[in-house]
Amino acid sequence: MKPLTVICGYLGSGKTTLINHILKSTSFPIGILVNDFGELNIDKYLIENEDELTISLTNGCVCCNLNDDLGDSLNFMLSQKVKAVILESSGVALPVKMSNYGTSWPGYKLSKLLTVVEGRTLKQLLSDKFVSKTVKSQIIQSDLIYINRYNDFDLELLSSMNPVYKKEEELDALLENIFIETDTVGEILPFVEEHNSLKTEVLLFDGPINQEDILNFLDANPGIERLKGWISDSENQSWLVQVTRSERDFTVSKYQTTSRLVVIYKKDLNKKILYK
Amino acid sequence: MIEIFKAKSVITVNPSLPRTEVIAVRDGRIIETGSLESLKPWLKNNEFTIHDDFEESIIVPGLIDPHLHPSMAAVLLPTYFITAMEWKFPWGLTKATTTPDSYDKALLEACSTPTHKDLFITWGHHELWHGPISRDRINALDSHTPIIVWNRSFHELCMNDAALEYLEIKEDDVKNSSQIDFVRGRFFETGLSFALQKLNPYILDQEIFTEGLRKLKEVVHFGGHTTIADMAVGLFDFENELNAQKLIYENENNPFRVELVAHATAMAGLSGGDHVKGEQLISSLNTHNSDHLRFDKRVKLFTDGAFFAQVAQLMEPGYIDGHEGEWLTIPEQFENIARIYWNKGYSIHVHVTGDLGLELAIDTLEKLQFEKPRFNHRFTLEHFGLSTPEQVHRLSKLGANVSANAYYVHELSNLYANHSVGYERASSMSRIGTCFRERVITSLHSDFTMAPAHPLTSMWVAVNRINEKGELMSPEERITPQQGLEAITINAARVLGLDHEIGSIRSGKKADFTVLSEDPLEVDPTAIKDINIEATVFEGRIFKI
Repeated sequence: MKPLTVICGYLGSGKTTLINHILKSTSFPIGILVNDFGELNIDKYLIENEDELTISLTNGCVCCNLNDDLGDSLNFMLSQKVKAVILESSGVALPVKMSNYGTSWPGYKLSKLLTVVEGRTLKQLLSDKFVSKTVKSQIIQSDLIYINRYNDFDLELLSSMNPVYKKEEELDALLENIFIETDTVGEILPFVEEHNSLKTEVLLFDGPINQEDILNFLDANPGIERLKGWISDSENQSWLVQVTRSERDFTVSKYQTTSRLVVIYKKDLNKKILYK
Repeated sequence: MIEIFKAKSVITVNPSLPRTEVIAVRDGRIIETGSLESLKPWLKNNEFTIHDDFEESIIVPGLIDPHLHPSMAAVLLPTYFITAMEWKFPWGLTKATTTPDSYDKALLEACSTPTHKDLFITWGHHELWHGPISRDRINALDSHTPIIVWNRSFHELCMNDAALEYLEIKEDDVKNSSQIDFVRGRFFETGLSFALQKLNPYILDQEIFTEGLRKLKEVVHFGGHTTIADMAVGLFDFENELNAQKLIYENENNPFRVELVAHATAMAGLSGGDHVKGEQLISSLNTHNSDHLRFDKRVKLFTDGAFFAQVAQLMEPGYIDGHEGEWLTIPEQFENIARIYWNKGYSIHVHVTGDLGLELAIDTLEKLQFEKPRFNHRFTLEHFGLSTPEQVHRLSKLGANVSANAYYVHELSNLYANHSVGYERASSMSRIGTCFRERVITSLHSDFTMAPAHPLTSMWVAVNRINEKGELMSPEERITPQQGLEAITINAARVLGLDHEIGSIRSGKKADFTVLSEDPLEVDPTAIKDINIEATVFEGRIFKI
């Protein structure tokens, strides 16, 4: 059973920053699922997840969306070598609902239900016309709260709703609490696995890779469904690469990194163009 | 060649000439409606024929459903309906099944004929009428056929032993799951998602899905429609939905047109999660337009959760049991997305179900009106479950339209009065009378399969407000039969931005008619839903029913 940690919290509360802290402080591979809900923000891009796997989701209500991509992604993660999975919920997700994935999805167990709170916006959000109840529920329903950018008043307000919290200076103590039994996670599977008819492969490169190389590679491989990762070009500029069937996007990246790409594709992959 | 349609009476829904006797049509358009006498100047030097098949009938403008979901219908229609409400289909009447015994009887009679390859899937079970469902209960009826009972709300399903075995769902895999009750064979919420993953190869099977769309075509014609709107293209899979609809509807024998409204989140999803690019994609979709399918500058957004699933967002005092509604879009992001489309001149259609979801849409509209005032913008509140009179007044001042699901009153008002929100609010759900008093352009829709795709049924509910228990709910919110007819014709056309072409019978408009056996403005209002629909006329061509 893979441990699933659910992280809730309203927009801008610091969920992504916390996930980046977690990734830096753990030595084992972690899978990240970001339910960005088809929103304007692109949290996924902000996660500095170079060694692990990050999948973005647009999950909705089952009566309007029979394709549960969160469920698909949870199944996919089961086949990967990640030892734990973190689910970053949308800003209005209710912890109790999200925790159901930890308690109900075959192959998983719930490790922690965590909500991130930003102190300086807490009071205002708790009186917001539209989200006050949601924010309150996020706090009440969680096992554990992580609060940042706070003052004494914010702490008092928070502790009246849920006394089990860690402050930002107690991050280390929080990190110890985030996973359970990570070393008893089942066997480690090879990274390349069948996902229905789709296959996934990680490509690593020693030398520079340019945008043209990627475009040629895509043209030579019509079976590519998605491609993402970072490349470092011959001028030593890093790019975040994000390719779907309809979109080929290169964004300047501030992270200095070796080139690495995750490719999801059908049938065969012709890699000659990239490894010339 | 001029074709003349003679009727016992023509209800034009044109206030300047409300009743006529004949309609003259040339090349699919109305050239004039009036009497044979008044048409003389047209007929003097032109050839003409007179259709007298409808001499004893009533002709009304072609009926319009401005909000249904062909893709969802294509999934549901291949299933076998056993429900507490009555459904009239071209292939027969599905009678209301309202007790546990009659449910078992209906299931037993039907289940030997599989619906999806080897599987039998039935939709419509509801515990309040049909009693608790379980694996044992289905096994006792039939333990050999793999049977799946899908709940009316879509949020739960139940399987018998044969189905569990057929889908290879084993106890060891799911026994720790809190939302799968393996002993009772029940899957709900997250457990339902798991079950649907196993079922998707059957319910989304290309052949079955296409057959479902074909059935929908029959249903739409049978309901007397000449125009429908797919109010969220991209619900499941944009490309597949569009291609399947092209396959079924793009031929000259299709008796109705389909107005397509793209799902903003799905379009953004196809554009790397970026709504600005999503808008650009929508603006390019008109290259798909044909005689029967048409995109325009229209978009579908969502605020709060589904009304049937009781996850609408409510203002104080909320739900009786204290549970919370859900947001389908984060409120501040809703505003950002709406602004993109508002500033580009779109008609924005917003799914709103609870009064707090509605409040978000109205607040947003007020802000956008302040930033960039627009007139005749057709910002439309879709579904309109719970509202307050003050909200209706505000949306009137802001120039918004309403497209309401009146059927909520019929199916849910008694249930919600007793189990959800209490009598006062439940009785005034779909507050349509106030909308008309506040001069809000108001149409009625089915959101099929949330209600029957049968505009006369929607009209009947809005005019009578009688629920399934026979109770009259908030008589003050009833509308007149004239208003009811406007709501399924000219107002629906206005909501879709098509009132210059369809929605009434007058010189210059498309020759879209629905032919009725009785006069919907003269019959006993409680009989409106039972009026026989004889035929439709789409752009001048007769399609008998």
